[in-house]
Amino acid sequence: MKEMLKITISLVVIFVSAGIIMAAVFAKTAPIMAEAQKREKEEALKRLMPEAEKITEAGKWEPLHKHAEYYEAKKGDETVGYIASTYGKGYSSYISILVATDSDIKVKKISILSHGETPGLGDEIEQEYFKKRFEGKTLEQLEVVKTETTDKIQAISGATISSRAVTNGVREAVRLLKEKYQGGKKDE
Amino acid sequence: MNNKSYWALIKNGIFAENPIFRVALSLCPAVAVTSGVKNGFLMGIAVLFVQTMVNVTISVIRNFIHPRVRIPSYMFVIATWVTVTDLLMAAFARDVYKQMGLYIQLIVAFAIILSRAELFASKNRVVPSFFDGLGMGIGFLFALVVISFFRELLGKGSIWGLHIVEFKPLLIMILPTGGFFAVGILMGLFNWIDIKFFGGTGASGGGH
Repeated sequence: MKEMLKITISLVVIFVSAGIIMAAVFAKTAPIMAEAQKREKEEALKRLMPEAEKITEAGKWEPLHKHAEYYEAKKGDETVGYIASTYGKGYSSYISILVATDSDIKVKKISILSHGETPGLGDEIEQEYFKKRFEGKTLEQLEVVKTETTDKIQAISGATISSRAVTNGVREAVRLLKEKYQGGKKDE
Repeated sequence: MNNKSYWALIKNGIFAENPIFRVALSLCPAVAVTSGVKNGFLMGIAVLFVQTMVNVTISVIRNFIHPRVRIPSYMFVIATWVTVTDLLMAAFARDVYKQMGLYIQLIVAFAIILSRAELFASKNRVVPSFFDGLGMGIGFLFALVVISFFRELLGKGSIWGLHIVEFKPLLIMILPTGGFFAVGILMGLFNWIDIKFFGGTGASGGGH
């Protein structure tokens, strides 16, 4: 009985104090982290659309049941393009992506905000050469193939799942923007 | 203990009881993150830090940990340090975190850290535990850098992302298979050096 009490006290004290330490560190760091993430997103938006003078949020959507937004980029009164944030379900994580398109909803540039793919294989999606493969693509061209191509999206060898995840995310974003902006025009 | 024995503790971690080549612990990260020297190096640094801090903490509270629940207690100390490191880096070292964030959280499950807590830190005073953690961490870092050096060189023809040799790379060296090749061959090499020059008997092997 006394033994049991000792074990309990030992465990409880260790667990509770560890919990307090973690909670305290989290409470201190969470606002700084949120601030940094917000700033990084704004910077990423600007980098994607350097010619835009104003990027305003136009609405929210839910790719893969996650919260995401889309933006309109304007120069003066003219709309120069759209940006949507989107997600792809990769090999070991959700990949957070920003997609910038021109006013015809053709992909201009993409940016990988965060991911948890395998280092050395899946994290190749961050490389410029892969992101460049999306430039100028239309909705129909956003499809992964394993052979060498410039017409569609060529998968990274050793990282087909991650490549497909990014492509699917981008395709959903392009589809959304088409629906919101080009579909709307037809109805008028 | 004097300065000489501290140095012996560090050397022990690098060679005699090298976590990967000699004790054969934590082989998962040794295969998983060694496809490039940069990855291996960053992972090694993260482990070096966590191993040292965990050893010191366990050593400080070793008389308070009840022997019958010591493993959950160790796990909690490890998890706390990993979480704290992860949070602090995410908040204050964003650039480094972007590079290393992928690895930090994996450390919780590394056998080598739990193993040193049980075998060394729980039985020794704070200062020797610190040096043991340091030695094991450096040994781990060293092993990861050596493995990733060969894998990246053969698999991509580059070192730290810089191309240095032009040939069609052996993709298999980057894939997990190549990791097993590299770890196996280097482990054999270490055994050979040990037997040939130091009169050892080869690695005993933890087998985790």
